[in-house]
Amino acid sequence: MKAAAFDYHGPATVAEAVALLRESDGMGKAVAGSQSLGPMMNLRLAQPTQLVDLRFLGELRECRDEGAAVLFGAGVTHAAIEDGKVPDPSLGLMPHVAGRIAYRAVRNRGTLGGSLAHADPAADWVNVMALLDAELILAGPDGERSVRAGEFMLGAFTTVLAEDEIIKAVRVRRLGPAARWSYYKFNRKTGEFAEAIAAFVDDPESGVRRAIVGAVDGAPYVIEDASALIDGWSDPAAASALQAAGLVPGSYEYQVHRVALRRAAERLSRPNGAQQ
Amino acid sequence: MKQVNLTVNGKAVSALVEPRTHLADFLREQRLLTGTNIGCEQGVCGACTLMVDGVPTRSCIVYAVACEGAEVRSIEDFDHDPVMTQLRAAFSAEHALQCGYCTPGMLATARDIVTRLPDADEERIRQELSGNLCRCTGYVGLVRAISRVLDERRNLAVA
Amino acid sequence: MTTASDRSSRKGIGASLTRKEDDRFLRGQGNYVGNIRLAGMRDLAFVRSPVAHGRILEIEKPAGREGDVYTIDDLAGVRPILAASGLPGFKRSEQPVLAREKVRHVGEMIAMCIADTRAEAEDLAGETYVDFDELPAVVDMLAGREPGAALLHEHWGDNVFLETHIDADLEDIKARAAIHVHRRLRTARQSMAPMEGRGVVAYWDKRLAQLVVYTSAQMPHINRTGLAECLGLDEGSVRVISPDVGGGFGYKGILLPEEVCVAWLAMHLGHPVRWIEDRREQLVANTNCREHHYDIHAYADRDGRLLAVDCEAHVDSGAYSSYPFSACLEAAQVASILPGPYKMERYRCRTWSVATNKPPILPYRGVARTGVCYAIETIMDAVAAEAGLEPYEVRLRNLVLPQEMPYDNITHKHFDSGDYPEAVRRAVRAIDLPAVRERQRRGEADGRLIGFGLAVFCEQSAHGTSVYHGWGIPMVPGREPAGLRLTPDGILEVRAGVHSHGQSMETTLAQIANEVLGIDPQRVRVVLGDTGTTPYSTGTWGSRSIVMAGSAVGRGCKELRERLLHVGAWLLGEPLDAVRWEEGGVAGTSGRFELAELTRIWYLQPQRLPVDVHVGGLEVHTTYQAQRDSGAFSYACHAVVVAVDPELGKTEILDYAIVEDGGVLINPMVVDGQVYGGTAQGIGTALYEEMAYSEEGQPLASTLADYILPGATEVPSIRIEHMESPAPYTEFGQKGIGESGAIGSAAALASAVNDALKPLGAEVSRMPLSPRAVLEALARSEAATAARAQPEEAFV
Repeated sequence: MKAAAFDYHGPATVAEAVALLRESDGMGKAVAGSQSLGPMMNLRLAQPTQLVDLRFLGELRECRDEGAAVLFGAGVTHAAIEDGKVPDPSLGLMPHVAGRIAYRAVRNRGTLGGSLAHADPAADWVNVMALLDAELILAGPDGERSVRAGEFMLGAFTTVLAEDEIIKAVRVRRLGPAARWSYYKFNRKTGEFAEAIAAFVDDPESGVRRAIVGAVDGAPYVIEDASALIDGWSDPAAASALQAAGLVPGSYEYQVHRVALRRAAERLSRPNGAQQ
Repeated sequence: MKQVNLTVNGKAVSALVEPRTHLADFLREQRLLTGTNIGCEQGVCGACTLMVDGVPTRSCIVYAVACEGAEVRSIEDFDHDPVMTQLRAAFSAEHALQCGYCTPGMLATARDIVTRLPDADEERIRQELSGNLCRCTGYVGLVRAISRVLDERRNLAVA
Repeated sequence: MTTASDRSSRKGIGASLTRKEDDRFLRGQGNYVGNIRLAGMRDLAFVRSPVAHGRILEIEKPAGREGDVYTIDDLAGVRPILAASGLPGFKRSEQPVLAREKVRHVGEMIAMCIADTRAEAEDLAGETYVDFDELPAVVDMLAGREPGAALLHEHWGDNVFLETHIDADLEDIKARAAIHVHRRLRTARQSMAPMEGRGVVAYWDKRLAQLVVYTSAQMPHINRTGLAECLGLDEGSVRVISPDVGGGFGYKGILLPEEVCVAWLAMHLGHPVRWIEDRREQLVANTNCREHHYDIHAYADRDGRLLAVDCEAHVDSGAYSSYPFSACLEAAQVASILPGPYKMERYRCRTWSVATNKPPILPYRGVARTGVCYAIETIMDAVAAEAGLEPYEVRLRNLVLPQEMPYDNITHKHFDSGDYPEAVRRAVRAIDLPAVRERQRRGEADGRLIGFGLAVFCEQSAHGTSVYHGWGIPMVPGREPAGLRLTPDGILEVRAGVHSHGQSMETTLAQIANEVLGIDPQRVRVVLGDTGTTPYSTGTWGSRSIVMAGSAVGRGCKELRERLLHVGAWLLGEPLDAVRWEEGGVAGTSGRFELAELTRIWYLQPQRLPVDVHVGGLEVHTTYQAQRDSGAFSYACHAVVVAVDPELGKTEILDYAIVEDGGVLINPMVVDGQVYGGTAQGIGTALYEEMAYSEEGQPLASTLADYILPGATEVPSIRIEHMESPAPYTEFGQKGIGESGAIGSAAALASAVNDALKPLGAEVSRMPLSPRAVLEALARSEAATAARAQPEEAFV
């Protein structure tokens, strides 16, 4: 189980990285921690001929507290978020989630941007960033553009990233001090990919009352106004959200997502972090 | 072939590697350091876990070329490490290994638990250990061995 | 007889001695096959079938590299692997080492590619194109018996390797039985998943004119016999070395077609060749285990006493009969051990070993016992429910009693010793059943359901010639050998034909030597795994090594002791009956000689001895067979408490207690380790592991992210209590317990989950009891539907 042959590049600047991707003519792949791409390449499910390694780009590891938001370099690792080595705009949600991604050895190497770009529906950051309505800053040959997290993922393992674009940074708005969040992940064993994810955020300061249904066939389903589920539980509202997320009533998947959504809603009344 | 410069077990190494060679294969095939066992090459089982820049890392899904400038420490480098010496004694006393195949990776993770989480209780030890599979021991001896070393170190700190 | 207290300071039988083998593994110095480096060694990768069933129309080798790719047409003279069961009616499968004309499962090898590195060999494999005429696949064992099913081996006329019958007339019992219960149960196909996969390195030794094969194997001598047969070599020109083995569990008890291929290529090319199995090959291509279907009835009187068991069982044997255990050991075991430790008047059982388009099966730790225990214990729970009794009470009413030992059961199994009901009583006490029932009645704040389950079983271990002959396998174990040699400086070299892949034989065999000779275990060198230096043995499997090889080593040490007494008596100038063996030396009335003095004098100063002091010398070869070869029966009771989430179907283990009787324990620490490890594997069987296939016969798990093995958070702390009923027929009273943990755990967990679901009227009848299986069972249950908050959303 060895990867197919490829050329390796370790560019020193974002511009260089983008240029390399452009030159690879669609056969290139950006990589940071290789914790998702590595297994797929070993299995030869991914066979890029050019691998552009972003781990030497210092600017991708920088984090900046902008006051109203925190700008995370895409190369920040899950472990850095777990350990509080970077600012937390989310009242503990991001460290809580980071500490439950796969296993510590994977978290030491895997990155926020890499996970988002990989766009596995069952992974955590695509769901959390959609919940927090984060802004993804993409760098390409024509400069930078930004995309809302909820619009970044097009389907399982597909995103709006062009072949010659990389995620440079992720901007997460700071939650108000009275905000509450909940995150419910159902998986069969510790560290495994989720079978269902549901999460809520309720921020009186900004008026945001959002929820997501994740680990579905495609991108997470965002419930922009989840008031009907937050202010007491509404079966019809839940049912319509679950069906909008592509889940079929009567299926196993529907059942576990319904339970995850309800439990996430219930946990919203508990202190942040007193989750599982 | 690509040139890579890194430190392996304290020694500066410059080597030509095929980019697709992962770190575990580089150590095993080119450096003849066979203490790092390969279990799945899928990043799941944890057998190949070793230290890169001081933190546990899966060596089967990290390419050797991506370790430019890194400090890599495999099991062979821990003979005289005080924490590992404690762990080895505890692993033996608690029968935390049988076939030995998962052991180098377990030790890497165990060392990380002991040094990073000095207050870890059994539940936390189990969570932190969950990325290293063992098919022989049922984890009973492993959890006890790590608990034992944590206790020893806590007692030492108190004294 | 020594007592427990004075054993603790000793290093012999009964001491929890830390292991001699630990140090090398803890320093990364274990030497597994993958660590062997030979000059000029090149790597092999296989082209494997992407289809489950098909005719090969054409194989196109990569242009310019045709010489590095080999198909069966290139392997002139290589014979197919045959593993013919001796049971009447068995239909033979021929497994060519590379596919000829037809492929019968995904992953079957079609061609082999040699290159400087494995990555390049895989490149070649990827550039080799095979054209198939795809055929319908037989994916389910029951469907495979239906008329019109596709045929794997056309000349058979059906897909059944073997059908067996144990017949009895049950009509009168059916008429008088107050209780009749019936279940249909299914266990999943599993991958044994040792941490180290298989691996082979081979070269031709020109000096000795000998093929040397390093292979990760449990039974190197058997691999040697099989290799010689397939390659057409005499056995003297084959040496098989199995170095450190990273876990076996049955997975490495087979002659692999890959071994034959690697060996042939090494001979053909004249340089060392290596193939290391990767995890995907292991999961999708190589052997599996455990897939059974039971249609079982029990008849009992109104007090819950069994009258008869009637069962039809199927085993999914996969595409070929694997060497040496055959496609039918599993089903033969089902038929003979299904009655478990229980008494009954009548027993009827029919079995079918069905060929399917999946990889062959191998006996996994516990072999058929895990499925059998699940079937019989599920039916015992059902009897208990009908009789209105606690499940343990029904066990107590049906178990063989201590005063009946030794006991010949309905299938003529000879239970040798023990107190089975006491194990149940102790396990129930250890788990504090009244408190569990109270908690169950109280209910949980989080809505989870508490369940209690138990399983009791006996494990026939170290059974010998007559038993295996009766099961028809082509390799029947006989007397177990051991070779012992003292060196001039008093080191004891022990050579055994069994192997160790975690079982700690280097330590436990040294403990037996210590017990007899008083020699420090650190001065005992145990040599295993090399056909060039160890005596011929069928190897390590069937919980046999500590009984068979341990006893052989003990006998050899006794013989050496006798010879040393002769030497010592002469040197002391005392008659033989005046000297005795004491604390590692010969003691007489006038003084003593230490072992190392005796050995030095024997080898280097023979002038001090008369030429005929003992003609045997200080090297012995012994063989051992128990007084009866019907096996030493260990037994255990597993008791477990679970919490089941009725909304998500997920199970958490809250408490786990085992009462185990392995006879005299050689090393209790090692025994506990075996039981813990086996139990963890049974937890995998019960709750997580499933090698599922699509309707086209495509395996659905190709990574360890899809094939879920229990980790540290899925296995609880486990408490073990020991009973110690010595085996009456073995050298030291020891019994084999290597498989025990994996036998009872799956059944106990199924019992517990179903106990939890009982208030909702649901019962899961397949393994694993995954969230999906639990939710399916709940959805089927009308009672559950009524009890749910949103009946309109009931899961179907």
